[in-house]
Amino acid sequence: MSTTAPESELSQNKPWTKRAVRYDEPAVIPRPKRTAGVQTYIPAWAKGTGITMKNFFVNFKERLLGQKRDPVLENYDGGITTLEYPEEKRPYPERFRGLHRLTVRDDGSMRCVACLCCSTACPAQCIHIVPGEYPEGDPRRGYEKYPTEFVIDELRCIFCGFCVEACPCDAIRMDTGMHPVPYDSRDQFIYRRDLMMGFTDRDGSRRSENERHEPGDPSHPGVTRKHDKH
Amino acid sequence: MTLADLLLTILKIAIILGFILNFAGLSVWADRRQSALLQHRVGPNRAVVKVPSNPLRLVIAGAAVAIGAPFGFFFWNAAPGLEQARMTTGLEVAILVGWFWMLLLSNHVRKHGADNGFDELVSRVPPRNYFYAGLAGHLLVLPLVRALPAEVWATQWAPGVCGTLAFIMIAGAGFYAASKLPDGKTELRLAGTLHAAADTVKAFMKEDLAPKRADLLLYSIAPIISMTAALVTVAVVPFGSSLCFKDTNLDGALDLHELGGLANVIDASGACPANYNTVPFMIADIDMGLLFVFAIAGTGIIGAALAGWASDSKPALLGGLRATSQMVSYEVALGLAIVGMLMLCGTVNLREIVDWQGRNTWGIFAQPLAFFLFFAAAVAETKRIPFDLPEGESELGAGYFIEYSGGKWLLFMVGEYAEFVFSSALIVTLFFGGYHLPFLQGDGLHIAFGDSVLYELKMSHLSVTIIHFLAFCTKTIGFVFFHLFIRWTLPRFRYDQLMKLGWTKLLPLTLVNIMVTGAIMLAVDAGGPQVVKGLDLVADITQGLLAIGGLLGSIAMVTWLLEPPKRQRIVVSTSAKLVDAAGGVKPSRMQA
Repeated sequence: MSTTAPESELSQNKPWTKRAVRYDEPAVIPRPKRTAGVQTYIPAWAKGTGITMKNFFVNFKERLLGQKRDPVLENYDGGITTLEYPEEKRPYPERFRGLHRLTVRDDGSMRCVACLCCSTACPAQCIHIVPGEYPEGDPRRGYEKYPTEFVIDELRCIFCGFCVEACPCDAIRMDTGMHPVPYDSRDQFIYRRDLMMGFTDRDGSRRSENERHEPGDPSHPGVTRKHDKH
Repeated sequence: MTLADLLLTILKIAIILGFILNFAGLSVWADRRQSALLQHRVGPNRAVVKVPSNPLRLVIAGAAVAIGAPFGFFFWNAAPGLEQARMTTGLEVAILVGWFWMLLLSNHVRKHGADNGFDELVSRVPPRNYFYAGLAGHLLVLPLVRALPAEVWATQWAPGVCGTLAFIMIAGAGFYAASKLPDGKTELRLAGTLHAAADTVKAFMKEDLAPKRADLLLYSIAPIISMTAALVTVAVVPFGSSLCFKDTNLDGALDLHELGGLANVIDASGACPANYNTVPFMIADIDMGLLFVFAIAGTGIIGAALAGWASDSKPALLGGLRATSQMVSYEVALGLAIVGMLMLCGTVNLREIVDWQGRNTWGIFAQPLAFFLFFAAAVAETKRIPFDLPEGESELGAGYFIEYSGGKWLLFMVGEYAEFVFSSALIVTLFFGGYHLPFLQGDGLHIAFGDSVLYELKMSHLSVTIIHFLAFCTKTIGFVFFHLFIRWTLPRFRYDQLMKLGWTKLLPLTLVNIMVTGAIMLAVDAGGPQVVKGLDLVADITQGLLAIGGLLGSIAMVTWLLEPPKRQRIVVSTSAKLVDAAGGVKPSRMQA
C-alpha cells in the first residue's frame, strides 16, 4: 500500500543517506559488566590515586628544584602552565603600545612644540595641552612653542597610537613597554608632563632615534630664523 | 604528682599541640597545594616575608652550630659499650650532611652561577652523583667500623674525632648556606606555607557574623566542642617511646634534680631498668586508651549537630543531621574493626598495642582486612571525601557550618584538619607500628631473622628515643598526605550508598574479621610452640620486607627527584615565537 520503498532499499540505493531512526526497534545498550573489581571500587581507586600522585609529585619536584617548564614553550606535555605574575612575565611584542612618554632633545628639553596635533587626533580626547611661549631671549621664542601643561588621562586612553602617528616632531611615543599600574585612586591615572618626560624606552633612553634639526643646523639651511622675513 | 612530672606534662602537651595545630595548618596548605599541583596550577604561593639577611644568617649559622654541638661535645666521653655506635653515628651524620650539602650546592650553582672557585669545583659533578657517592659511603661505614680493631674504637678519641667531624660538617654547611643568602633582604616564601598562616590571620580579622535568629550560645560553643574533641583525643596517643631517668633518692617519684640522670643504655624490650623512673612520650598513659579515644571522638558529633541546629538555616540543619547520622553509623564499624587487633594485643592501652607491634609485626600484616575497614570508616568519621556529605558543596553549600564566618569558621576548619591529623596518627599507632621502626629495639639495631643475627649495633637510649619520635612524626605526615591524595581523587558518594556501605558492607566484614581472628588465635594456641616460632620468623620477614622496601623506596625517591627533567620545546604560535626570541618567560625589565 505504501508508496515509499523499504528502508533497507533506500539505504542501498543512496548509501550517502543516513538510516532513519526507527523507534519501534529500540537499540539494546548492553548492561555494563559489574565485576568484583568494579563493585569493590578498589582498582579504579588505586588507578585514580596513582594519577593524582604522579601529577602532584612531578609538579612538586619541578617547582622544588627550580625545573619548572617554561609555561609558553614547554607546556605541551603537561606541567604547570601558570605564569607567576609579577615574578614571571611574558615579554611584550616589539610594537606593543604601552604608556606614553615625551621624548627629549639633546639638551634635555622636551621635543614637543605644542602644535596640538595629538590632542586633535585623539579619539578618546584624553590629551590636554596648554601651549606657552619660550621666555624672552630664548632662541626658540617666536619660532616654536612648548606645552606648559601636557596631561594624559590614562583611564580614558584607548592606546590606539593615533597621537604617535599624528606627532610631526616625534615628541610622543608609546614604546615604554609598560602598562599602567593598578593605583588606589583615579587622580593617580592623570599623567603629567614631567612624569612622562621621565619615562624611557625599553633600552633606557629618553631620546628618540630620529634626528632633530635645531635652528642654525647647516645641514638644513632652510630651518633658520633668517628666513622669517620672507 | 611532683613538680617535675607537672613540668614534663606541660611540655608534652605543648609538643603535641604544637605538632597537631601546626600540622593542621600545614595540611591545609598541603591540601590546597595538592589540589593545585595535580591540576597543573601553582597554588597558594603569594605570602612573602622579606627578612633582613643578616639576622637570618645569624639564625641559620646559630642553628647549625646548635645542632652540631652535641656531636662535637658529647662524643668525646662516650659511655662504655657505646663507642662503636658513636663512631658509626658520627661518620654517618658527617656523610649525610656532606652529600646533601654538596648536592644542594651543585644544584644551586648550576642554576645561579658560581661565586668562587669552590663553587665551580663542586658544580662540576652533577648533583645526583653526590647522592650515589653518599649512599656508597653510608653502606661502607657499617662494615668498616666493625672491621676496625677494638683498640681503635674503644679509645675515647675515636668516637670523639668522628663526632667532631660531624660537627664540622654541620656547622660548615650552616655557615656556607648563610654566606649564600643575598645581601640586603631575603624573601621567605617557605614553599607557600606562609600562605596558610596569612589565611589564619585573615580569618580572625574578618567580621564575625551570626544569623539573626540563631541560638547564640549554642552557635558559639559548637565550633569549640568540635575542635576540643579533636585535640583532647591526642592525649592518649604515644608519639615516642619512653625516657628513663635514674631514681637517685629511691622514692619512686620523679624529682626535678633527677632530670639530669638520663639512662645511657636500656635493654632491648625498651622497658626502664629497676630504680629508674619512666617518662612515656604520651600525655596520659591510661589503661582505657582506645576507649577514651572513642568516647571523646563521639562528642565531636555534638559539635556538628549543635552547629546545624543553632544556625537557624535549612542547609545547616540538613548538614548537621547528615553529619550526626553518618558519624554514629560509622562509629560502629570503626569500633568493631579494631576488635581483632585488640584480641591479638590483649589490651586497649595504645602504648602496649604499639609495643606488641614492636615485638611482633606491624598491625597491617596481622590484620590487613581490619586496616582497610578501619581506614574507610575513619575517613567517613572525619567527614572527608568521598564521604563528605555533611558538607556537600553541590547540595548544601558548606553543610553544618554554612552560617559561620571568621574565627568560628576557622575553629571548625582547624578542628576538622586536627581530627584528620589525629586519625592518621591513630591509624599509624594501630596498624603501622606507631613509633617503631623495623629491627630498631630499645638498645639499638638488631637485624635478625628467627635466631640468626645478621647485624647488631648498640645505640644509646637518647638516640633511640629521638629516632622513635621522628619515625612517628614522619609516618603520621606520610599518612596525612595519603589521605589528601584520596581526597583529590575520589568523587562523593550518594547518601544511600554511604549508609549501605556502612551498614551492609563494613559492619558484616568487621564481624567476619573478628571471627576469623578468633579462630586463627585458637588454632595457633592449639598448634604449640613450633607454630609460634614459625609465626615469629614470618613476623621477622615482614619486618625485613618493610626495611628493604623503605630503603629501596627512599633511594628510588631521591634518584627520581634528581633525574634531569625531559624537555620538549615547541615554538609554533606567534606568542611562542616572541617568547622564544626573548629567551623564554623570564623576569623582565618591564615594570607593572
